[in-house]
Parts: sequence; C-alpha cells; structure tokens
Amino acid sequence: MKRCRKTVVLPAVLGGMLALCACQDSVNTLENMDKTAQQEYVDTRYFSTDSYCRDRITILAVNKTTTDSGLMKFQVQIRSNRYGFWSELWSDIMGANPYHISYKVDWLDAKGMKVNTASSVWLPEILMPGEVKYIQSVAPNANCRDFFISFKEN
Amino acid sequence: MKHKFFLASASVAALLAAGGCGSAPVRIDTASNQGLTTIHQIDFKDWQIAAEKGISSMLESGALKRADGRKTILMISNVKNSTSENVNTRILTDKIRQAVLRSGQAVVTTAVGAKGAEETAVRQVRELENDDLFNQSTVQKRGTVIAPDMSLSGEIVQQQRRSGRTEESYFFIHMVLTDLATGLAMWEDNVEIAKQGTKSIFD
Repeated sequence: MKRCRKTVVLPAVLGGMLALCACQDSVNTLENMDKTAQQEYVDTRYFSTDSYCRDRITILAVNKTTTDSGLMKFQVQIRSNRYGFWSELWSDIMGANPYHISYKVDWLDAKGMKVNTASSVWLPEILMPGEVKYIQSVAPNANCRDFFISFKEN
Repeated sequence: MKHKFFLASASVAALLAAGGCGSAPVRIDTASNQGLTTIHQIDFKDWQIAAEKGISSMLESGALKRADGRKTILMISNVKNSTSENVNTRILTDKIRQAVLRSGQAVVTTAVGAKGAEETAVRQVRELENDDLFNQSTVQKRGTVIAPDMSLSGEIVQQQRRSGRTEESYFFIHMVLTDLATGLAMWEDNVEIAKQGTKSIFD
C-alpha cells in the first residue's frame, strides 16, 4: 500500500513541478552588442530599507540628458529579478506575478530645494519576470539640477 | 442542550459583531497608493498617472517654446468626455496648466476658454469705463488682453469588456496642443489606463 502511494505521489509532484516550469512566462531579451548611443551615465547612491525590493529589482543603468527645450531628463533602466523556478513559484503563490512596484520622482533645484511636480506622487509600474523597463522623468523647469527617485513594492 | 444553546448564542453574537465592524474615516496621502481602485471609473491615481505622462511628454517635446523667445500664451480648450461616467476633466487640465506655468515655457490665459472666459472679471472690469464711481485712469483699458497662441484640448474614451465574472475598463486619454495661427497640431500624445477585476460569486 505504502509503495503504491509512493508510486502515485512522487510522479504527481514531479509532474506538477514540471507543469509549473512550463508555465513560466519570463521575458527573454536580445540587444545589439556594439552600442552607438552616446549615453551620459549618472553616478548614483542607493539607500535601501526594503531588502526584498532591492533584491527583486536590478538597476541596470541611470543616465541623463538635456531636452531641446533645455530641461534635464533622466532614465533609469530596471530589470525584475523575479524569474527562475522558485522565484516565480513563490510569486505565483503570493499573487505577485507580475511584479507590481511604485516609484516617485522628486526634483531639486540648484539650491537643493524640492520642486513640486506632477510626478511627485507614487506612480505604478508592472514588471513581468525578467522584464526590463525604463523609467523616465523630465524636470519641471530649467532650474532643476538633481533628482531623487524612490521605489517600493505594492 | 445547554452547551448547544451557548454555542448558538456565541455564534450569533460573533456574526452580529463582525457585521457591525467598520472603520472610521481617515485622511489618506494623495501622493500614496492608498486610494480606492475601481474598474469603471477614473480614480484620483489615474488622473495623476495621466497628468504625469502628459506633462512629461509635452515638456520634452519643446512644442511650447517659441523661436522669438516670447512665452507662448496657452488657452485651455475642451477635453471631451466620451466615457460612460460623469468625469470632471478639470482635474487633468488644471494639473497640466500648473505644470506649464511652472516650466516657464508658457503662460495660460483665463480670458478665453472652451465655454467662454474662465475668468469673467477680465470683461467685467472693462465695463467700469462708464462708471463715474471709479477713477477712470485706474480702469483697465480695452485692447490690452493678450490672445492665445496655442490651445490644449483632448478627449477621454472608455471601452468596457466583460468575460464571465471578470470585468475590464480601458481608458484612452488623448491630448493635443494646437497652434492657433496655423491650426496644426504641434504636440499630441495619449495615455492608456487599463483596469481589471473579478467579481465575487456573492456579488
């Protein structure tokens, strides 16, 4: 009887795991190797209070530019690290697949004072497992010199 | 018998207590994600998303910048509501006009609007020119109000879908900046917001 149970349960568990593996909907990416874009990268300082959020998102690059109208613009390239069998299994169990995060951008003027903008609110972003997204923001006026971006899980 | 009676009474009391449970009204941070999320209505977070994306796109385009260095005079025109809900599009246009002013690239006129002047005082004060109660040298003169160079208009479209207990709403918010001299659209963009929810079987 015990042997019979084992012969049923083990394949069922394995089958279930294989089925879940097959159900993964993570993102594959392809990019050109010889980059031609002249990017101005920004040195950043990261302060984390939520290690889960920190580990689940990789900041791939932060770069800035100035628009034709003289406004500073930055872009943060992020990737969701919630891919792979266990990570996706856990996200599915917790109902967190796709991964919902929020971000907020604060712009600071030449004297370091915050300038209120429409993006000074938490804005949602949804990431598929392994997906790369670009968060962009344009300074509200030409006096803005610095920015401060916050991330959190929803 | 006694045991059963106590059990039944306790269950009824617990059910009544649970039914009566509620929460006192609290203030929430409008910058946060604490607001309610509905499927078929535009919530305040949706307005914030639409405004942020629209403003960023408009400022980045440089459409408001004039070659002669003068600030563009912008009028807020009509934002057509083509949704099934009664929405006040002023929430969106006010956020955009504030951002436009803050950018220093343009100024907004309130003397002209989609449904007449937004600020009727501009015309009212000029009607004082025949009133001997007022010192005529302090009365605003005619021919001094500046006409707009550009207008901001748009439309909000909603599409609803239902599949079983799952409902979905798709909002398409279109904004356009028109050069009033030429009638050409100098900037256009749209913001898409989709919301989905599944109803409980008890609803």
